[in-house]
Amino acid sequence: MPLWTVRGLRRGVVTTRYPARPDPSADLLATPPAFRPDVLTRDLADRLAAVCPSRALARDGDVLVFDVGACTACGRCRAEAPQAAGASGEFELAATARAHLVKRIPLGGRPG
Amino acid sequence: MTAVQPGLAGEPGVRELLAGLGQDAAGDGSVITMRVAAAGLDAAVRRIAAHPGARLADVFASGGSPDTDAGPVTLRLVWALDADRRYLITESVIDGERYPSLSQVAPAAFAEECEIYEQFGIRPAGGGPLNRVALPPGAGPDWPRLGRAPAEPPDDVHAPHHVGGHAFEFPFGPVRQVAVESLYYGLVTSGEELVDLYLFTWHKHRGVEWRLRGATPRQALFQVERTEGLGAVGNAWAFAAAVEAALGLEPPPRAMAARAIALELERLYNHAAATAALCQSTGLVIGQAAAEIALERLLRVNAAVFGHRYLFGVVDVGGTRRDPDLAALRRDLSGAYGELRRAAEALLSTNSFLDRLEATGVLTQEAVRRLGLVGPVARGAGLAVDTRADHPGPPYGEFPPGVAVQEPGDVLARFRVMLAEAAESVRLIGEIAETGPGAGLAGPPAGGTGQTGRCGLGWAESCRGEALAWAALDGDGRITRARLRPAAVRNWRGFDDACRSQNVFTDIPIIEASFWLTVAGTSR
Repeated sequence: MPLWTVRGLRRGVVTTRYPARPDPSADLLATPPAFRPDVLTRDLADRLAAVCPSRALARDGDVLVFDVGACTACGRCRAEAPQAAGASGEFELAATARAHLVKRIPLGGRPG
Repeated sequence: MTAVQPGLAGEPGVRELLAGLGQDAAGDGSVITMRVAAAGLDAAVRRIAAHPGARLADVFASGGSPDTDAGPVTLRLVWALDADRRYLITESVIDGERYPSLSQVAPAAFAEECEIYEQFGIRPAGGGPLNRVALPPGAGPDWPRLGRAPAEPPDDVHAPHHVGGHAFEFPFGPVRQVAVESLYYGLVTSGEELVDLYLFTWHKHRGVEWRLRGATPRQALFQVERTEGLGAVGNAWAFAAAVEAALGLEPPPRAMAARAIALELERLYNHAAATAALCQSTGLVIGQAAAEIALERLLRVNAAVFGHRYLFGVVDVGGTRRDPDLAALRRDLSGAYGELRRAAEALLSTNSFLDRLEATGVLTQEAVRRLGLVGPVARGAGLAVDTRADHPGPPYGEFPPGVAVQEPGDVLARFRVMLAEAAESVRLIGEIAETGPGAGLAGPPAGGTGQTGRCGLGWAESCRGEALAWAALDGDGRITRARLRPAAVRNWRGFDDACRSQNVFTDIPIIEASFWLTVAGTSR
């Protein structure tokens, strides 16, 4: 403990960097999806919204509204449209305001 | 007159039992369904309860819903004839609002009598008080129910009541600790010794069975495996098996092997979590840290093998949805289990730990039988109840488990049972993975008779004991009634008995950890 104190005082840093090193098991965690806007269409967005059990997905015109705060990372959207949704790998989801967790993703795909 | 189908019940004892019980019988041998007239229900219950090895496993109702099924309520009793390796379901149509009291013959049925009153508005004859067990006090006539609302609300548990002498009542919960499920304890104590205890579990009621109506089996399965997050595989397997029985589906051996690997992994991580909880409740932080390291490693094994730390999304109707990574299993399991074994060996040589467990939370074998308890709680009291051995389906018929049993019925006995089961799970996983049919995806459900409008019973030996599910499908294959009976539903009713057995205040967390139940499992 004294060594930590001396080293911290000398460097002016008293906390460790986060994360100290990448967690090797992070890849195994279920994470919210990441969507490919260039593939998303209105029909596909409606299908994704329909399969989402926690109502984290909704379509607003030509925008897919994704509420990351409501997502439970169940993977249903990824199973429904693997070409449009993959794992984000992002599990650190803290935000300073609830609204920051709502993403608006433009639908850039051509209707099939 | 009872008509027993030829070959339906091969054992003479079962044949004798069935003779004279009801009007007709049907089943595939492992599950027998009989209709019993309501007037003859009392006699039938007495007769079945007296059958050697018979255990009342569940009681539930269907019908009587103004929204979906306005017909009369049908009361179903599920009996486990463990010695005969069969389940027996009696079906009784109840006209009116009363039926013969079941709990007077089989005390284990009281909780279900209360729940059926809350959900369907019918009550046992005799007029005794019924407790509130399922719906919260604010549940009025418009509250979503499976049937009709009762004419009068049920009494609250033990309320109103008086505490006399030097004892006083200590309310504890429903908010208890960080990340611990909502549960209210009513503790009656004289300051040290526990005089009485009662529980409110309805804070977590989510109406899961109500929500399943009208869903397709796969839609329902998604919610079933989230009903009790720490028992996803056991409950999902039981539900999938119920649907498969209704549809006449037979999952391929490879899929059943994958399910069994997932189920044993679930048992392993739950027993590790229970070990950590026991350490926490006895104030052993080093032991707790060691057990939690084992728990974390086991959860990572789950994620590496099946893609989810809590094994969600493994079971599918007709098979499995995920292919186990057997290479990851071979690479990681022995090391993770080694952590648990090392922690357990250290704990078993720590007298200050063992002293807190020994003679604490004693449940007698008679109480276990009377209440119909299952899993490590029953096996810790000397009752070798294990559906993997008593009602074996693939792959457990080929890979029979050794059933761990201890006699004393105290916390230490339950802990020893869990440790023995963890070792047995590792052995089973190894054998099934290496010499079984190969574990893999089932693909889309194959086979099946195409029959709809049927019902079926399913079961699995979850980490907490026998998990049951019953499902009825309409002509479109959608669920008209699904009954979920996780093991927690049975075992909570033994918790207060264990707490009252000459224990002190600080023993309660230890007893709760040794039961390792979930509120979500019972308050569904």
